[in-house]
Amino acid sequence: MSLTYLDAIREAQYEALRRDPNVFLYGQDIGKFGGAFKATKNLINEFPGRVIDAPISEDAMVGVAVGAAIEGARPIVEMQFADFSTCGFNQIVNQAATHYWRTNVPCPIVIRLPSGGTAGSGPFHSQSMESVYAHYPGLVIMTPATVEDAYHMLLHAVSLDDPVIFCEHKFLYYHLKADSLPDETLPLGKARIARPGVHATVVTYSAMLHECIRAAEELVVEGYQIEVVDLRSVKPLDAETILASVARTGRLLCVGESFPWGGVTAEVIARVCADGWHLLDAPPQRLNSKDTPIPYHPNLWRAHRPTAASIGTELRRLLRF
Amino acid sequence: MHVIPILMPQLGESIAEATIIRVLIEPGAAVTAGQEIFEVETNKAVMTVTASCAGKVSEIVAKPNTSYAVGAALGSLTISAADAKSLGLNLNTAPTSSAPVTSNGSKETSNVHFQISDADSIHEHQPMVEPLVSGLPVPAGAAGAHYISPRMRARMNELGLNAADLAAVPGTGAGGRVTVEDFELFLRKLDEHRMTKASPMRIAVADSMRRSWSRPLATVGVNVVLDTMLAHRKKTNPKPGPALYVIRALALALSENTAVAGRLIGNRIVHPRAIDIGFAVEVDDGVMVPVIREVEKKPLATLVDTYNKLVEQARARRLPQDMNRPGIATVTNFGTFGIVWATPIPLPEQNLVIGLGAGRKAPHWSNEVNCFVPITEAELTLSFDHRILDGGGAGRLLARIAELLQKPEKL
Repeated sequence: MSLTYLDAIREAQYEALRRDPNVFLYGQDIGKFGGAFKATKNLINEFPGRVIDAPISEDAMVGVAVGAAIEGARPIVEMQFADFSTCGFNQIVNQAATHYWRTNVPCPIVIRLPSGGTAGSGPFHSQSMESVYAHYPGLVIMTPATVEDAYHMLLHAVSLDDPVIFCEHKFLYYHLKADSLPDETLPLGKARIARPGVHATVVTYSAMLHECIRAAEELVVEGYQIEVVDLRSVKPLDAETILASVARTGRLLCVGESFPWGGVTAEVIARVCADGWHLLDAPPQRLNSKDTPIPYHPNLWRAHRPTAASIGTELRRLLRF
Repeated sequence: MHVIPILMPQLGESIAEATIIRVLIEPGAAVTAGQEIFEVETNKAVMTVTASCAGKVSEIVAKPNTSYAVGAALGSLTISAADAKSLGLNLNTAPTSSAPVTSNGSKETSNVHFQISDADSIHEHQPMVEPLVSGLPVPAGAAGAHYISPRMRARMNELGLNAADLAAVPGTGAGGRVTVEDFELFLRKLDEHRMTKASPMRIAVADSMRRSWSRPLATVGVNVVLDTMLAHRKKTNPKPGPALYVIRALALALSENTAVAGRLIGNRIVHPRAIDIGFAVEVDDGVMVPVIREVEKKPLATLVDTYNKLVEQARARRLPQDMNRPGIATVTNFGTFGIVWATPIPLPEQNLVIGLGAGRKAPHWSNEVNCFVPITEAELTLSFDHRILDGGGAGRLLARIAELLQKPEKL
């Protein structure tokens, strides 16, 4: 059996629907059409009445889901693109995120954000929103980088009573394949050492994990063993694993596909500087996309986001400090 | 006609800004090339800003007693088209406005997010002050082996090491800095050597000297004739040691001017409270420095017993507790080791250490008998913190001590 990252997300939704009658899917064209990326393909036939087409209003979609969740349902909301979730921003950060804290009534919704760039998608269909949502208390932000995590973390998201922003990367939908799904998985909030090393730590998540691993592999011939940490969920953030890795290596590079101003990479560096100052042998560095809107042209897009080549360059600079 | 800005020039290496002292030219006045327009002061010197070519001062925007960054426009100059061309200016572009950029304010930049092409943007003539380092630098002012990363610092603290212990570690990092890998390799290599434990006395001396060496120290010396002192010593009972004569002479010299024994803390000279003088006593695996209090108030004859007792106590490592309050200067008689010249290091909390070299016979021309006569002379050295004292002051202090030593009966 070979399974893509997108298959894993569909399988996880199938499994969630099968396990719990309170689960339903809600999103634009997710029923008969099977969703913009076919993440819900055929699910309407298996679970009639529980895979529901929504109007073209993210605000209304999240509002309905919040109301249903308060009444005991466990909705999974699909945004067509992460970029459009900002139309439902008020419902997400003001209603869903705060609900339990205001009322002691949990709001167990999952909002799936097809995130990140693919060549030629341009400024409205390429953005990464995890840093924006991670800013708000009350939300769990998952950023799976592997087929296994896409499957298990989505099921985990549905079982959580907290609202979850599930950032699934569009670039990985078709490109990433696994032979099978392991039964066991790491607990929520635990980062994974994706590649052990001794000379520098790279902290990353989502699609950038694969660029970082490629960069690390290229540096092997230069005599460097780079440790790569996959955050898996950016909130909660597993500072313990990061600090333990920096304790081994003394050098830190954070890589993220979102814009550079603030955000996850900055947060990781802030935590390491505050709690692991004595571990650092070089100034911690970070690499993000450029501080401009995301360009359409494939060449410009490749220059805009971090790649194995630019990560390698940054790592060499860090290693030579 | 063309208007060009008068810019704050780069007045020297590492000068980022300068303060306007005086405006020497009124707006509207004509200037020749090289004529001084502003008098400015940097943290190093007073300098002038001159006209880059002949013209008329059309505007002065800089104000006296205000600091401006290098590259800031201080005013503007109206110059001829020919001069503008010879300066390499493009005559087709409009003259730039001369909004001043003070060191505490910055120019408004255009939308940095959308600067797509350099060709589309309008460039200012004045170069902005460039930071000296960029990218992933060794922190400014911390280049080379002197930069110690937080991890290195933590590791050294853990092992009880000091920066001086790393002097032998070759650095492979940026600017030759010692990386933590270099350090760990160095530690592993040490295990190949035979190692013995350093005594607490050795560690105390090392700590004291290391702290002291962080200052710019200098040494001067003079010849001092010892015959009168030695003659005086011969007929005195009990006999004062040669160091005691120097201690007493130093105390009297310092009582005339305590500032030379002061410490520089920030922008203030901290004067000593009392003229307490220490002297070096060699002990097993180190040096101890017992202190005689208020030496300037006690004649030489009364000090002999005190001195001898302190030497004994120091050698037995039984110095009284109040020795914890250090003296303001130290005398070391390195002549007892046969050394004629040395550059001793003053204690970290002191500015001065006086050294007395070994005495030796030397021919000396005597005008009275018109021939060479034998004398006994020795080198008297003074090592000092050059931040507080200069060669002249140090020389005068030494000369005064040498002078006082010629009248031992008055000590």
